Amino acid sequence: MSYFWSLGATGVTMGVLYALMALGLTLIFSILRVINFAHGEFYMLGGYASYFILNAFTGLHPLLVIPLAGLATALLGLVFELAFLRPMHQGRIERPDEYAVLITFGLSFFLLNLALALFGPYPHRPPSFFEGTIDLGIVRLSADRLTASVMALILLGLLLLLINRTWLGKALRAVSQDKQAAAVVGINSLVMNSAAFAMGAGLAAMAGALLAPSFFVTPDVGAVPSIRSYVIIVLGGMGSIQGSILGGLLIGLVESLGVGYFPDPSRALNYKTAFGLVIFALVLLFRPRGLFGRKEA
Amino acid sequence: MTILRRLPLHPEWALGFLSLCVALSLPLLVQSYWLHVFTIGYFYAILASSWALLAGTAGQFSLGHMAFMAIGGYTSGVLGRFFGLPPLAGILVGTLAAGLVGWVIGALCLRFKASYLALFTIAFSEILRMLIRGEPQITRGDHGLHVAPLFGDVISRVPYYYTMLLFLLLCLLLMYWLTSTRVGLFLRAIREDEEAAAARGVDVVRYKVLAFVLTSMIAGLAGTLFAHYVAILTPNIMIIPQMGLVIAMAVIGGVESLVAAALGAVLIEVSLEALREFEAWRLVIFGALLVITLRFARNGLLAPVFQRLLRAGPRAESRERVVADGA
Repeated sequence: MSYFWSLGATGVTMGVLYALMALGLTLIFSILRVINFAHGEFYMLGGYASYFILNAFTGLHPLLVIPLAGLATALLGLVFELAFLRPMHQGRIERPDEYAVLITFGLSFFLLNLALALFGPYPHRPPSFFEGTIDLGIVRLSADRLTASVMALILLGLLLLLINRTWLGKALRAVSQDKQAAAVVGINSLVMNSAAFAMGAGLAAMAGALLAPSFFVTPDVGAVPSIRSYVIIVLGGMGSIQGSILGGLLIGLVESLGVGYFPDPSRALNYKTAFGLVIFALVLLFRPRGLFGRKEA
Repeated sequence: MTILRRLPLHPEWALGFLSLCVALSLPLLVQSYWLHVFTIGYFYAILASSWALLAGTAGQFSLGHMAFMAIGGYTSGVLGRFFGLPPLAGILVGTLAAGLVGWVIGALCLRFKASYLALFTIAFSEILRMLIRGEPQITRGDHGLHVAPLFGDVISRVPYYYTMLLFLLLCLLLMYWLTSTRVGLFLRAIREDEEAAAARGVDVVRYKVLAFVLTSMIAGLAGTLFAHYVAILTPNIMIIPQMGLVIAMAVIGGVESLVAAALGAVLIEVSLEALREFEAWRLVIFGALLVITLRFARNGLLAPVFQRLLRAGPRAESRERVVADGA
């Protein structure tokens, strides 16, 4: 039984990080109605940003770099949104739904190849937050992994505060519910689009920066986390905030337990992400709008 | 002149005929190395044009086209390895296997809005790649699966070149024929407005699945041809940036025209080889070009050039007729 609980604990510690990343995707989708296929590349850029900022300012504590990495990537996201997504919301693009898929996928292709050309295919590793391992009683985790989870939990809390308690959060929720009604009360949805996209990019980048000391950074490091986020937002319900948090934790648990109880332990890790695809298919078959989704699919 | 005018020499056919002549005589003109580049270019042309049919005509976005290609290639390769299936039968079985998987995924995802297909196929593609890597007893993983070459001991690249060209032309003809029938009309109607098409009695899901299965089979076919040409398969052929490259080819060529997408693919594959000295920066350039094309030239960069050439044609023809009538 203790084996079960230790797997569960590992699952939850990863799940909060999955939730953080998926929440960025949800924020973008609920405001812009765009699935950001470059989300994994923002995750990757967060890792590189923390590595290079720490190289430039060696005195900085690695934890302080997390918000900086998020900010740098959020700025990049903002520039992209203004240049390529805003024209779409101004009605200057034909067939906007198709354009949204292709332009974000095109950005992903561009950023991945740019990272490959600039940084090479070799893994980079920013310094640890804290050395050693920590014993939680039921499971031993590296201090880096545990720090990443605690930080993710804090960031999730801050984000929920922002969304539920501030004017900006209220405005974002208003736009996600009804763009026209929001415009009537004086909320500029174009500004909210930019804010949501930049925040979403920043969240992915902070997840990437938090996990960079544990899993290293390569140009293609974002592929698996982004796919996991797609599964999470479909499972949680497209555009639902509580859905992506619960979905993130569920996927964390499913992966951890699935790997732990896989019949052939030597191959179990290869199937880690595949469990997500099974869940994806089951959701499409039995509950296409996900756990908390609005009825629109 | 009158004889020329009576021949069915429509400018479109003239252009096609001209490119076909160049393609057919290429083995006489270039070295073996460039023949290889063009063969791979035709492989990408099959993928880009079939992706263009799905995206440009039917408006459905698959990000797993390379997975279907790999299903074709690996099915044929694995059956050949364990059961000694000959390459020709492997091409057939691999194509059908890709179609079967396409049918299952299409039936699962195409009942919903387009974004579910893109989400599911990108996840499917990446996870399939990990499984192929993770089961080396069957697929030999990153070591590469050795596949029997189509023409046995023949060293010359010429037969492979003509085979790939032949299949490219067959696929283009098949897809061109499909888009010119009622089915093509239904698909375009679905792309423009799914609900309106459904209201007019088009069985939306059925035709979306049909288009998806057909293009998946074509991708699978391309995969089997590729496998039996290069004779080795690794999971790296289906990484997401490869999908990005095929999309860049189709979009830069022109996603609404099958021929433009195919020519875009050949052109980009040849430029990638010609620009070798720029190494990793080549794909950065094409990535930037993809994004800029999407934003500022939705019809692609090649398709408008064709249209201009073709539009120039009929005008010249009608002018000639006026002169002839006057005489």
